[in-house]
Amino acid sequence: MYSDVVAFNLVQAVTQWLLTLVVCGGIALLVAVVLSISIGGLSGPSTIWMAVTRGVRDLVSMSPKRIGAIAGLTWKESFRRQDVLVGVVFVLLFMFAGWFLTSTDLDTPAKPYISFVLTAIRWLILPVALLLSCWGLPADIKGRSLHTVVTKPVRRSEVVLGRMVGYASIMTLGVVIMGLVGYVWIERQVPESARHQLVSRVPEYGRLTYLDRNGLPSLTALNVGDMWDYRGFVEGNTKAAAIFNFSDLDTDRLSASDQLQLEYRFEVFRSHKGDIDKSVQAQFMLVNEQSGLKVPYPRVPFEINEFADIQTRSAEDGGREPIITIPRQLTYTPEGELSSKTVDLFDDIIHDGTLTVQVRCVDPGQYLGAARTDLFIRLPDKPFAVGFFKAIFGTWMMAILVIVLGTTASTFVKGPVATLLTFALILTGLTLRPFMSEVLEQYRLSGAVEGGGMLESGYRMVTQMNTQVELPGGFLTDSIQWIDSQMLLGLLLLQNVIPDFTHFDMTPYVANGFDVPWNNSMMPGIATTLAFILPALILGYFCLQWRELEAK
Amino acid sequence: MDNESVIQIRNLSKVYRDFWGRKKVQALNSLSLDVKKGEVFGLLGPNGSGKTTTLKLLLGLLFPTEGEITVLGRPAHDVEKNEHIGYLPEESYLYRFLNADETLDFYGRLFKMSPQVRKERKDALIEQVGLQHARRRQLKEYSKGMTRRIGLAQALINNPDLVMLDEPTSGLDPLGTRDMKDMILKLRDEGKTVVMCSHLLADVQDVCDRIAILYGGELKVMGSVSELLQAQDETQMLTTHLSDDALREVEAVLAKHQAKMMKVDHPTTTLEDLFLRTVQESQARPGRRFVPGERPGEDGNAPETESGPSDAAKVEGAAS
Ligand SMILES: Nc1ncnc2c1ncn2[C@@H]1O[C@H](COP(=O)(O)OP(=O)(O)OP(=O)(O)O)[C@@H](O)[C@H]1O
Ligand SMILES: [Mg+2]
Repeated sequence: MYSDVVAFNLVQAVTQWLLTLVVCGGIALLVAVVLSISIGGLSGPSTIWMAVTRGVRDLVSMSPKRIGAIAGLTWKESFRRQDVLVGVVFVLLFMFAGWFLTSTDLDTPAKPYISFVLTAIRWLILPVALLLSCWGLPADIKGRSLHTVVTKPVRRSEVVLGRMVGYASIMTLGVVIMGLVGYVWIERQVPESARHQLVSRVPEYGRLTYLDRNGLPSLTALNVGDMWDYRGFVEGNTKAAAIFNFSDLDTDRLSASDQLQLEYRFEVFRSHKGDIDKSVQAQFMLVNEQSGLKVPYPRVPFEINEFADIQTRSAEDGGREPIITIPRQLTYTPEGELSSKTVDLFDDIIHDGTLTVQVRCVDPGQYLGAARTDLFIRLPDKPFAVGFFKAIFGTWMMAILVIVLGTTASTFVKGPVATLLTFALILTGLTLRPFMSEVLEQYRLSGAVEGGGMLESGYRMVTQMNTQVELPGGFLTDSIQWIDSQMLLGLLLLQNVIPDFTHFDMTPYVANGFDVPWNNSMMPGIATTLAFILPALILGYFCLQWRELEAK
Repeated sequence: MDNESVIQIRNLSKVYRDFWGRKKVQALNSLSLDVKKGEVFGLLGPNGSGKTTTLKLLLGLLFPTEGEITVLGRPAHDVEKNEHIGYLPEESYLYRFLNADETLDFYGRLFKMSPQVRKERKDALIEQVGLQHARRRQLKEYSKGMTRRIGLAQALINNPDLVMLDEPTSGLDPLGTRDMKDMILKLRDEGKTVVMCSHLLADVQDVCDRIAILYGGELKVMGSVSELLQAQDETQMLTTHLSDDALREVEAVLAKHQAKMMKVDHPTTTLEDLFLRTVQESQARPGRRFVPGERPGEDGNAPETESGPSDAAKVEGAAS
């Protein structure tokens, strides 16, 4: 895993959701009122009021029976029109493409198989969900079969929701089948030597700080010239160390196995060639910050996995997993003493669910690079299937979201346009949204955006003024900056309206042999999908309601 | 017959607009009419006169540009009222991938109806419209008449109080037409209200109690079929043993003679005649309400007169 794993803040997300809903609803209402007044004069607002109350009534009084009927119809439609054949063709395609897959990555030989299966399913499900949901309602309107339906006591919200449920159930079937096929395929395809990688590791990450070479605490460490500030490097054979602080450990559960597994993946930067046959060595120091107890472990420094193939080599050849297993009873010789002492890991070292692990590099002149996710406590593994099907669940949620968005889009535009619109939304959610978040985060933290907002950067470009130069003061600058800051508000709103599709990609976890964490990945995915269902339904309802089906 | 209005239309206008809001067609112009409970009401008019538009407005498929509609005591956009309405569209807009059974089942499920009742009604209707032999075939394989039949069955699935039929007999064979007319009369006997559009005037004449004729989106004629088809200024006599003598004197002293009076009434014209006259009159004098008793030219106005408002008011007054 080469990026950080950040916990999802549900409370904040829900607040943001409510706020966005209120703001968007308010804007929509305002526009509607203004429009209605301009068209219908003073009676306009009362029309809007009636439409809104009727909308609320229609949304509240939806009948599961009618939704079920429409969902069932959707289901039949897709099967009878042989849409589903497309899915079958896809499955076949995917299976045959699979035969040609070979593993080239020595470090993680199972990874390509897992990545391939999950990515393939994802990109097969996506277009089917997109096309199904975007073309259904427009075809229904064009063929006027919807006319007959709405002359029955059917709320148009039921039409929208029924369609959504119908497509969702079709896609559920598709995802389940593809998931099972994919799973069996991985189980059979992955070579014997890589089978040990088919696990769902459950990591417990800590907080990372450093000690500099004089042993003083520091939030950062040396940068050895990488563009990316991801890892901090500590110098070997000095007082420098990377300090991992684990808290909230579930000691009861951990102590059940009478040992603690630490898994690491450090990087090495050599400032001189040194002994090229051996990896650079490191040592852990287990610390109880409360009592000041410090226990080095292992007693002899270990070679870190500096060379990529260390895991794939056989055990006789020096190959091993990058895991240090700490037994419950630890024997060590305290500094300055001669006799050795034995302490209990869970009673003496771990205190109140907290454990501190200092990592030091042993070789002088060499550097050890550590990032927060480079060392973690490896909790008992879960079966591979757990992580795999969580990722499949992620794909399923993505499909649901696509269906929700596509169906909604298809209530106000025709099929091709709806498809394009939804696809654009997905692409934006995948690519542009992270950038938007970055800009907004920068603004939130520093109160300014590097290079300025849209107008400011345009101004700088035209006047060839570089970003370091202060803008000349005065009215123009003030107004430019004011407009830019207002635009940021718009950007904030836009960011909240565009679903974050990156949440649904759980492939990196599974492909790297991790379980999909609930807090960081499952919950945001579920929250994102849920967040869009209600607003989409409301939007779809009003669009369909205010659309004269006949007058196309 | 109950006099309660099932449908009330007041000053209804409909303008079709294009995407940019520009006016395309004025399909209805200030239409007002009432349909009473329990009657069979016929909407007539040439192609494009606004009949289908009226029905769609009643169903809430279209929104009125102006005016008010009350159907079964509720506004047209209220979906609750649809619980008691059956609609047979002009062309059967049904799902072509469903078979007859599934079609009725699907529409039945949209109503408050127990599965048991739904099944019973489904079987009864399929029998009634004569599709037993084809109930498991997909609608895309159906002929036009068969599609009409399943369309009708679909309209009646909820045992509606108000049935709207848009050209119910189009595409049906003579036998089917006969069945359809019987069905309409049966519905009336059951106390249901039927509103239908049709071009087949003989059929309308057979089943409708009252009719309205639209022309260019305006109401030209409305009234009960029997009244409208009476020729007021003529008398038809059917007698026995009427001698030549008596015949000469009959106007003055009919009763003095031994001739037994069999029937004295006004001969009726056919609806076809009325329809054609209405259309011709409307073409010749746009913007006027047509008065059936009147012969062209009798009111002293030249046929090509562009009717001013006062003129129109006078004619309206005469008709009411
Ligand atoms: N969707 C539409 N968009 C624009 N104009 C329409 C639309 N539907 C109907 N019209 C126009 O409205 C007018 C009335 O049409 P309508 O379908 O109500 O006629 P009709 O009396 O049912 O005719 P027919 O006997 O042919 O069925 C016509 O001029 C028609 O062209
Ligand atoms: Mg019509």
